[in-house]
Order: sequence, then structure tokens, then C-alpha cells
Amino acid sequence: MARSRRESVILYALVITVIVVLVFPLYWMFNTSLAPGTQLRRFPPVFVQPEPTFAAYERIFNERPVGVWLRNSAVVAVASTALSMFVSVLAGYSISRIRARGSQSIGLFFLMSRMLPSTLIIIPLFVSFRQLQLIGDLKSLVLAHATFITPFAVWMLKGYFDTIPAELEDAAMIDGCNPLTALLRVVLPLSAPGLAATTLYGFVLSWNDFVFARTFLVANQNAWTVNVGVASLKGEYLTEWNEIMAGSLIAMLPIVLAYLFLERYLVSGLTAGSTK
Amino acid sequence: MFVARVFLMMSLVLVALFSAAITGAQDTTLTLISWQVDEPVGDWWRAAIEEFESAHEGVTIEFTKVARPEYADTFLTLFAGGTPPEIVHLASFEYQQFADAGWMEDLGPWIEDSDLDLEGWAGQAKCHWGGQTACIMLQFFGFVMVVNDAILEEAMMEAPTNWDEYIAVLRATTKDTDGDGIVDQWGACHHTAEGSQYLSQMLSYVVGAGAYWTTSEGEVNINTPEMVEGFTRWKTILDERLTPLDLASGDCRQLMMEGKLATKLEGPWIYGFVLRAEPEIQENLRVVRVPFEVPVGGASNVIAMASEISDEKKALVWDFIALITSHEWQVQFGLHVGQPAPRPGTLVDEYYDAIPHVDLLLESQNTASAHGIDRSPTGLEIVYNEFAKIVREEAQRMVADDVDPAEIVAGLHDLALELQAAG
Amino acid sequence: MSRLRPGYASSDMNNMVNHPPRWSLWQPGNRHLFGYLLLLPAVLLTAAIIVYPIIAAIDLSFQKIKIAKLGRSRAPLTLANYEELFQAPEFYQAIWVTITLVAAVTLLSYVIGLATAVLVNQRFRGRKLARILVAVPWAVPSVMAAIIWWWLFDSSFGLINWALVRSGLSSEMIPWLSTPGAAFFVIVVVMVWKGYPFISVIMLAGLQSIPLELYDAAKVDGANAWNRFRFITLPGLRSVRGIALILIMLWVFRDFPIIYILTGGGPQRTTQTLAIMTYQEAFKFHDFGFAAAIGVITLIISIIASWFMVRRSDQPIY
Repeated sequence: MARSRRESVILYALVITVIVVLVFPLYWMFNTSLAPGTQLRRFPPVFVQPEPTFAAYERIFNERPVGVWLRNSAVVAVASTALSMFVSVLAGYSISRIRARGSQSIGLFFLMSRMLPSTLIIIPLFVSFRQLQLIGDLKSLVLAHATFITPFAVWMLKGYFDTIPAELEDAAMIDGCNPLTALLRVVLPLSAPGLAATTLYGFVLSWNDFVFARTFLVANQNAWTVNVGVASLKGEYLTEWNEIMAGSLIAMLPIVLAYLFLERYLVSGLTAGSTK
Repeated sequence: MFVARVFLMMSLVLVALFSAAITGAQDTTLTLISWQVDEPVGDWWRAAIEEFESAHEGVTIEFTKVARPEYADTFLTLFAGGTPPEIVHLASFEYQQFADAGWMEDLGPWIEDSDLDLEGWAGQAKCHWGGQTACIMLQFFGFVMVVNDAILEEAMMEAPTNWDEYIAVLRATTKDTDGDGIVDQWGACHHTAEGSQYLSQMLSYVVGAGAYWTTSEGEVNINTPEMVEGFTRWKTILDERLTPLDLASGDCRQLMMEGKLATKLEGPWIYGFVLRAEPEIQENLRVVRVPFEVPVGGASNVIAMASEISDEKKALVWDFIALITSHEWQVQFGLHVGQPAPRPGTLVDEYYDAIPHVDLLLESQNTASAHGIDRSPTGLEIVYNEFAKIVREEAQRMVADDVDPAEIVAGLHDLALELQAAG
Repeated sequence: MSRLRPGYASSDMNNMVNHPPRWSLWQPGNRHLFGYLLLLPAVLLTAAIIVYPIIAAIDLSFQKIKIAKLGRSRAPLTLANYEELFQAPEFYQAIWVTITLVAAVTLLSYVIGLATAVLVNQRFRGRKLARILVAVPWAVPSVMAAIIWWWLFDSSFGLINWALVRSGLSSEMIPWLSTPGAAFFVIVVVMVWKGYPFISVIMLAGLQSIPLELYDAAKVDGANAWNRFRFITLPGLRSVRGIALILIMLWVFRDFPIIYILTGGGPQRTTQTLAIMTYQEAFKFHDFGFAAAIGVITLIISIIASWFMVRRSDQPIY
């Protein structure tokens, strides 16, 4: 399968071109965030900042509670993922291993829940949260995010549990484990990478949410998640693109880092529940 | 066992999070949400809050910002969610839907018990809703125009005083100044992005042509020759790209501050932004009369009280309202927004030093008032959002598909009637 | 935990001396009970935050109710919302917009996703890095993707307009977001940019499962690159293709932030999907009953469509 020199050059050129085109918007965001405000409404555009400035970052951190927004996003993501993981590990294991009568239908229900439009469920949730006085409270978001993390986590985890040989549990039970301790001591440690990937993935899903956060928390700026906060920058009485881009960059950084870590597991995460 | 432990920890974190009981009642906190927090007038609000807090031991006011485009939606969520801000600050064209839902306290009895005299208070009539006094008018205004003398001079033109001159200035000044084939200077700038502000932007041309959405009795009055003229003017400006397109109000103000607009139609608050421009640009910016007989004007924003709060809090809110409607604070308010306050007798000499064009502002707001102009049309108040949406959609259709304005106007008339009947 | 139901722990069971002395959850015969017990937390949670809300939404859709009265009083049951909906041209337009958007985004994401997957599946130095970079837009939250492209497509100062005018492809700056066809195009671009990495990653996994020997054998037989692609690669991807397409279609069908931020459904509703329409009716025009009706119809379409696609695809979705 040796490749000729010419073929190699073409291949590299192609790869580089494709990547440049696809990743360029991200570069442009970064570039804009380093630009002084006066430069943004002027042509020709500056592709490489001769004097990059972090003024936009400084201003956005000074003038907006970005730190609070980031913390809110993180709190909600951790809590909603923890909640979802707790119920999903048990349910995924049950569907994968025990297969009690009816559990397959329940599994199917979780799968169908992934098709639920969030714009539908948000209406009754709003009504319920209003009665529980949770509007404007981060707890509302934790519960709302569980509506989309749980169905996916159940299937992703079921997929991982399916790959662990049942003989290992049988052996553990002979050694005196009961099914619960077998799950905790044998199955869970063995599926650690799967648990980690599912947890991270749930975190990403929660972090990316906009519609729930926008609706339940919009009135309370100190409860905003970073997505709502950054989106609101565009509606300002003055439009500062460099600050908006700085904010966007900060907001997506945790997810990009998660992606770099998660990349290997992405496939199983994306197709969770889709293959038997 | 690591995983099992992590698992257990996660469950614990969760339980802790949910069982974190509502923190015990602390000192009284009132909420005041405003879109003006970072505007020049934000300083006035902060000063008033400070004054109030120092007079009321143990009471704090939380001053939170929500941006204008999502303001009405946010308030709706808040009121419907049962967590309204105690002190209600709203634009005058949106308060009606809240008053209509019974969410706003009738201020009548509070005013009677106080020494606040609303006689001659500009625009206060707009605060009467359903036989009650739903609010107190905070700002009543008329549009003005900022012109950039450097750009006019270069085009060898004067500040326009009527539509023909205005459109001539726009045509002469909208151009590519650096020869790269891209227009970088405009005659005007309007918010044409999504949102209800589209309607307010068109309104200059509608009332400028002598038209208005409804009669003073609240009857839909759209299908008139004047309205057709107004829509034709709006279409001309968009067709000929005399304003940059798709921008929001914020972008427009920025362009004005960067000296790239020949003219800018806006309310008196624009002066605060003129003062923020760099000195070499600021010296070219001048506030003049709008080039139309009738300017956009009317009520701007109101202060009110939520009805579903404790009596104790109501008394505190009233104290705050009484404070900011007092003579001293009204004078300060006017100085901060760059426009005389609605309270009679607050037009002190300081204004003339701070705002060179005070007389112009008064003239503009009186003309608008005399013609019954307001951004919220009488008879369509509670369906304002829907109304703004259909006008925007029809106007966009007129421009995009090059439809005859007469046809659009006739269609809008019927749509508005339908909306009024359904609302 | 061992005494699940009082009935089971009754005395006659405890008195059986010779057989297992006490009832235990761990008896093989009780395995299904253990299974249900494990399912219980998930079922309870889902009942509270998914099942109940769906029922509540259906209930709401049969009431004529505005936001002010929500949760305080019931309105009489009526079909008015559905009647209004089926008579509204806006509703059919939203369905049409949704269908065309799903078709356009899915098709383009598929093409780009497959192409990039094939590209980074080649053997070359730095391929690992290339794989990460090529899928990096996946990591950009929808909100940020919308904002980045908004700036790029800005009508007056955007880079894309500048490039088009400078290169002579356009004689003037295009007002992307206020021109009906152009706004739809922008939405498609943003969604494809956000959606293709997903296809790419799945396809790459599919490619890696194709035995290399097949290619070598084909080469020996003199098959050219195109034929190798057509007769080995494409059939080899059959197992993952169905899944990838279904998941991306469902995503486009339900996505909210990208359209909401860029156009809010305008201009003239040309980018108003069912999801956007539902949200606007509820939270902008406060007509919760009507909004719930749209949402319920959306859910029904979503279920029918995915059921149909699952049946048609080469592989069961679960």
C-alpha cells in the first residue's frame, strides 16, 4: 500500500485544506476576541492581530458575572449528571442483565424519550415548576436536564454492561457476593471507562442546553448558565463583537477539553442504544 | 472499589443538593429589574437605591439587568412563575398585558394617602388601565435626530428639515468611502433584525407621513393614504439600502459613535451615547429636530408595584416609588436621561447647561403628545406583541417580494381588526 | 431491603425450616424482583419528569388557556386549539420548513461527514490529530455555533460578505438574515457545520470495521479508487449509516437554539420550524394551550417518522 510522493502531497494538501475550512470559524472567533473594539467595523479584516489584546476578556469578566455563570453551568451539569447516572446505572444494568418481564418495554420507552421535543416538555415543566416555586432556581434545571440525560445514559450504560461477560458475576457470586455487591464490586469497576464516558457525555449535554436554561432562569441573572449569559450579550444596547467572542470562547472551553478526553468514546456515546 | 465510591459520592452530592433547604429568612430584599442598568441612567438608579437603603435599615434592593430584546418575555416568565420583581419597571408599551392579568397593584389608594400630586405629570394618562392607576410615568419623550456635521459638510448638505431633504441626504451620504466596493457609511440606521423594535423603527416614517395605527378612540385606522405613504418611505429606505440591514439598535448606536452615520433618529437617550463617542467624533455630532412634522414620541417607561406580594413589602415599594418621583430625584433623573422628567416644575436651569437642546426635546414631546402618538397604539395594547409581529412580517414581505405598499397596508388593516377582535 | 413486600415476609414463609430459612431478594427465583427494584428509581424519576409532563401537555392542548391562569384553574376541554392549528397556514408552513430543513441538513451533513471520515481514515502521519480536528465543531455548543456564524454572516461587517464582494461573486453585501432564502441557507450552513462531525465520527468507526484485505484484494483485481469506494466502502458502512441518519434527522427536527438565536423563525417565518413555533406561541404570545397542541403534533410526527425510519433502515435502532 505504498503511496507515491505525488499522492502523499495531494493527500496532505487535501487534509489541511479541509481542516482549515472546517475549523476556520473557531479561529475567527479567537481572532475577533483579541481585536480592539474599533477594528471590528472596518474592512479589510485583520486576519492576524498585530497587537492582540485581552481587553475584551478583562471587560467581560469585570462587567458581567461570567464566573458565576460558569459556576452555575458546572453545578447544574454535575448535579443533573449525578442524578441521571444514579438511576441510569441501576436501570441500565437491569435491562442489560436481569431482563425481567416488561423491562425491555421500559427500555424501549427510554429510547423513545430521546425523540421528545424539548419545546413540548418545557411547557408542562414550566407549569409544574411554577407550582413548586422552582422558576429561577437552578434545581429546576437539574430536573429538566435529567429529562434528556437519563434516556441516553440508560442506553449508553446498557451497551457497556452488555460487553462485560456474565461469567465474571457468576464467579463473584460463588465467592459470596449477592447480585447487588456483584454489581458494585465487579461490574462497575470493569465498566469504569464506560461510566466515565457516559458521565462526561451527560455533562456535555447539560452544558449545551439553552432552551431550558433560557426559559426557567431568564429572570435571574445570577442564576444564568453561561450559554444564556453569552447569548444575552448580543442583545445589548451596544454590540461588542470582541466581548461576545471572548465570552463564547470561555463558555465552550470546558466542552472542548471534555471532547479531547472523550474523543475515543464519542462513537459509543453518539450511537448509544442504537445498536444491539 | 474506586468506582463504587465515586458512585456513592455522586449520590451524596445529589442528596445534599436537593436537601439544601431554602435558606432561612434573612433581611428583606426587594427586586428591581431594569434594562437600564448599564445605560447612562443606571447611575441614577444606583444612587436612588443607595439613598433608599440608607433610610431603611435591613432592606436591600437587588438591581438586576435584563436586556431589552428579552425583557417582556422575562417579565412574563417571572409573573407567571409567581416570582415577580417587587418593584416593576416596564416600558410603557408592554405594561398593559401585565396590568390586564391583574399582576399590577392599583396605585390609586397609595397616591391618595401620600402627598404626591400627579396633576400635570407628563403622560400619566397612559398609566390608567382598567379604571385603575397601574403605574407612574417615569419618562415621556419625543424623538430627535442626531446628525454628523462632518459627513453633511462633505456632501455639501444641510441638516434635513423635511422628507425630501432627508431622503436626499441619505442618498448622498450612503457610500463607499475607501473604494473597496463595500458601503461603509450610511445616511441612516435602523434596527431591522428580529424583534418588536422593528415596529418602533418604522414608526418614524409612519407618523412622519401623518399616519397612525389607530384613532384616539382605539379604532384600527391603518388603511389610509398617509399610511401607504409611510410604508412607501420605509420601503424606499430599505430598498435603496440607505440603512445597513439586519442590525440591532446596539449596532446602530455604535456606528453613530464611530462617525459612520449621517443621521440617526432616536429618543432623547441617544444624547448619552453621543457623549460617549470619542472627542474627535463627538464634536461633529449634533442633536436637531426630526425632519418630519410629527415625531415619534409618547410614553417611554413606567414604574409600578407587583400586586401579589406581602403588604409589608408593598409599603416598602411605595416608599421607593415615592422617593424616585420626588422633586429632587426627578430633577436628577432628567439630567441622567438627557431629557426633562415628567414631574411638573422639574425643569431647572441646570438642564440648559447639561443638555443644550432641551427646548427641542420639549417641543418634540409636546408635538407627539398633541397628535396622540405613542409606540403602544390605543386599542391594541394587550396584543402589542402579536401586532408588532404581523407588522414586521408584512413589512418584510413588502421589501423582500417588492409588494405594493397599498396592498400591504390594506391587508394589515384587516389583520389588525382580526387581532383586536380576538384579543 | 430484603423485605420488599409485607405479604412475602409472612410467618408461613419464615417457618419453613428446611428450605432457605428466610425470604431473600437474592434467591434466583426473586431475580426479576431485583431487576424491578433496580429499575424503580429510573422509572419514578421518568414518571415525574417525562411521563407526567407529556400527559399534562396533552391535557393542556385541549384547553384554551393563557399563561396568567396556568396552574390556577382549569379551562373546559375543547378541540379549539387543534381546530385553529389545522386551519392556520403558519402551521403547514412550519411543517414544510421543518421537512426541507431536515432533508437539506441531513443530506449535506452526510456527504461532508462521509468525505471527512474517508479522508482521515487514510494512513498518514498526524492522522490522529487530523481526526480530532476534523470533528472539533462537535464540541461547540449550539449557542456558540450560532453566535460565531452570526458574526461571519453579518450583513454589514461580516467576513463572508466581504469575501464575496471582493472576489466579485456578489455585487453587494447580502443581508443574510433578513432575506428569506438566504436566512434558510445560513441556518443550513450552521446546522451542517455542527452536525457533520457526528456523522464523520460514526462513519469513521464504520470504516475501521471494514477489513483491509478487501481493499488489497480489489487492488489486485485492478479496481480503481472509485470502484473500491463504491463496492467495498459504501456497502461496508451499511450497518452504521441508518443509525447516523436517524439520529441526525431527529436532532435537526428538535433543535432549538440555532434558529432561535439567528432568526427567531423569521424572516416571514421562512425558518420557523415546529419547535420554534411551539416555543414562540407559549413564551412570546402566551398561548400555552395552543403551543401545547403544536408540541403534541410535533411529538406524534417525531414518533411516526422515527418508527418509519427504523423499519426501513438496515438495522433495528435498538
